[in-house]
Amino acid sequence: MKHTTRASRRPKIALAGAALAFGLLVAACGGGDDGGSSGTEAPAGSEAPSGSDAPSATEAPSGTDPAKVPMPGGTLVMGLEAETSDPWRPSEMVCAISCHMVARSVYDALMVPGEDNVPHPYLAESVTPNDDCTVWSITARSGVKFHDGTDFDGAAIVENLSRHKTALLTGTAIKSVTDISVDAADPMTAVVTVEKPWCTFTWYLTGQIGYMASPAWLAASDADEALRNQPVGTGPFVFDSYKPGESYKGVKNADYWNQPYPYLDSIEYIPINDGLKRRDALKAGDIDILHTGNGEVITEFRNSPDEFPSLEITKNGETAYTLLHVTQEGSPIQDQRVRCAMAYATDNALVNEIVSFGVNQLANGPFSPDQVGYLEDSGYPLEQDMARAQELIADYKAENPGELKISLATTTDATNLVIANYQVDFYKEAGFDEVTVDQIDQAQYIVTALLGNFQVFQWRNHGGVDLDQQYVWWHSSSSLDVGALALNFGRIKDAQLDELLDANRASTDPAEKKQIAEDVNRLFAEQCYNIWGSYQVWMIPHKPGINGIEANNLVLPDGMAALEGAGIAGTFYPATVWRES
Amino acid sequence: MRYFGQKLVQLIIVVVAVTFTVSLALAAIPNSEERILAVQGVNANDEEVRNATLDELHLRDPLIVQYGHFVQDLVTLDWGTTFGGNQEVRTAIWDGLQISLRLMIYAQLLALLLAIPIAVLAAYRSGGIFDRLSTTGAFGLISLPNYVLATVLSLIFAVRWRIFPVLSEPVSFFDAPVDHVKNFLLPTVVLALPLAATYMRLLRADLVNTLQSDFITTARAKGLSTSRILFGHALRPSLFSLLTAAAVNVGALVGGSVVVETAFSLEGLGGKTVAGIFSNEFRLVQITVVVLALVYVFINFVVDIAYGFLDPRVRAGRALS
Repeated sequence: MKHTTRASRRPKIALAGAALAFGLLVAACGGGDDGGSSGTEAPAGSEAPSGSDAPSATEAPSGTDPAKVPMPGGTLVMGLEAETSDPWRPSEMVCAISCHMVARSVYDALMVPGEDNVPHPYLAESVTPNDDCTVWSITARSGVKFHDGTDFDGAAIVENLSRHKTALLTGTAIKSVTDISVDAADPMTAVVTVEKPWCTFTWYLTGQIGYMASPAWLAASDADEALRNQPVGTGPFVFDSYKPGESYKGVKNADYWNQPYPYLDSIEYIPINDGLKRRDALKAGDIDILHTGNGEVITEFRNSPDEFPSLEITKNGETAYTLLHVTQEGSPIQDQRVRCAMAYATDNALVNEIVSFGVNQLANGPFSPDQVGYLEDSGYPLEQDMARAQELIADYKAENPGELKISLATTTDATNLVIANYQVDFYKEAGFDEVTVDQIDQAQYIVTALLGNFQVFQWRNHGGVDLDQQYVWWHSSSSLDVGALALNFGRIKDAQLDELLDANRASTDPAEKKQIAEDVNRLFAEQCYNIWGSYQVWMIPHKPGINGIEANNLVLPDGMAALEGAGIAGTFYPATVWRES
Repeated sequence: MRYFGQKLVQLIIVVVAVTFTVSLALAAIPNSEERILAVQGVNANDEEVRNATLDELHLRDPLIVQYGHFVQDLVTLDWGTTFGGNQEVRTAIWDGLQISLRLMIYAQLLALLLAIPIAVLAAYRSGGIFDRLSTTGAFGLISLPNYVLATVLSLIFAVRWRIFPVLSEPVSFFDAPVDHVKNFLLPTVVLALPLAATYMRLLRADLVNTLQSDFITTARAKGLSTSRILFGHALRPSLFSLLTAAAVNVGALVGGSVVVETAFSLEGLGGKTVAGIFSNEFRLVQITVVVLALVYVFINFVVDIAYGFLDPRVRAGRALS
């Protein structure tokens, strides 16, 4: 669908929703810190203390009301915002938030972010670097078996990581890995060698790259495509059934290695793209729980805490923004003046108030207030300055005669179209001659971004704790030509940015890392590489009597509680959820 | 028999035309190769992988060869898998078809059950209060968009009263009859009400004309009861427009109930087609279009044959020709 449009500014719009989510890899959200920099101490905490035991069955996990003892049994039906993965092989998943929810049922990650903002071993027994962080030893937790009975060992880790290394998407993220092999002295240990110091490598084992699938199943599914949607992991729920776009079901893994989890007998995920319909499904009792970033829905559930208790996640979340393709040949957006004019022309406060009911905080950079690198004044304009925008466009046009045209892409979601219509108004008022809007289906939307076939794109990303988690989105090494799948969607090629990202990757000094992240923030403001919107608030409303959705209910093998927000905005750990009846 | 043969030939011509057009449609889509490669996660810059993928899908063959492969796959039911999801296209279509057929049958039955008695009563007392009320009501239902009706009914019966689900599930009647009814009732009602209104108006108009015919006057003169005259003599020759409309709606309902399917989260054939278009599942779309065309053509074929049974004048006309 393609059309040029002008929107009338309506005082009240009964539609609100979230922009596209794309939490590939390790887009961590949440965190218990209050804006400090403790979360940047990467490798130090990544060794499991000896003698770490799983929590006992009678132990109430931290964060749980002591009066409530988890009860086993029951089933949970969750409404997801999208269907974003298939096949379900970790190295091939195009994994947004909903995909991570499902993946956490069937897979375990090698590491999980702890409350101390540091990755801790989970499925891995230990993860240790050498002195300069160029060789990492990942030891498999002993006694763990995949759902199909295959042993989890060093070879399984090698098989999984090797597939990631050659994968189209995740391969970019671990590009600097030069060798993955089983330790000759210990079959339970995999050794990963990287080409230059990578002290934050453990963060990459907390997400998609860290999910471990059965090597036997991977081999079988190489030959039989149908098996690719019947995942086999070590996770709390064994795959039961999957119908693309309709439902994914898992049943309790009674032999789960991390007892007493899971509590539920079964779990089902139903993708319901429309945020308002997801809300209605919860209210009608069709589903038990949902996740949402929709301002209208959040506001509504805030007003009914007894009928629908909810968990709200505001820390370390993602930023909703307008992604710009900054190096596309012949595009006016290559010019910094044009990009900054778009930033000055945007009235974020108006859009946030009308579309998101004022739920979100306005963004002035990629990092939300609890993330390392956040600045109260990054230099990015928080308020609309149309005069400045017009001045910049006039300056650009003086040097580049002819019509100034751009194309803005959005999803088929009505709310996103409303935002796009506002943007059209803003840009035209600033001096753009033509702004066309392309509506693209969500499933195709991600692919379009990966291919770089866009100029201006509504997007949501950059949750996380460590700056290194943004490496793949911004480093020039993942900026490929248009037509090739690349995670640096905007195809940013900035030597200064590369230098900062590389320095952060090699550093273990929290103060230095904080300074680097702040410099990155300022660089983005100066270059206007993206048009920042707002910091995403997530809510997980549910029926009464559902407990254990706070991430810190998950007790890690070393006794640490998992990071609030479950590492990825809008998610929780299905293993810890239990029902009162 | 000759008439049957003519219709069969027409049917075959239509099927060939549809399959050929659908087969070639892929080539007409801008950047179709890039779209397919993208949705399959193939790096378009890798010539070797690119060519292998395109060869596997016969996309580099001449159009007529592509058509040959398409027909061969169609006939042998080798419909392949979806690009995303690795689901068998055959399974996806069969799943969708079952839902659409159920909805179509239920909606048609309910619409006819409502329309026929109301139309008969309205025509019998043409111009009376019941006639005026039912005609006005029918206008209202016809002009009411089904997404509005779906939203209103869903809000009242599902969200507020929690009698029916917001998200309908295609539960089998034989496994759980009560759940089946609960899941299909609202979408059926949403589809059936506007249909019933249309059918009612068509049938009422035809009945009013029929009731002015000489043979009805004769029947009255013979002292036949009102119900006998209405249902035994007037109804059958008045069913032409209704039958035609119902037949056209069979095809429309099987493939075109997208709005209602979406509103109640039932992924029927229409919904699958739309989703397939948006996600570049060209194979799924191609086969679905052919299946829908076959349904249309077959139903119209059956209706053409049925005309002769409904009205002896049609049979007589054919005999004369």
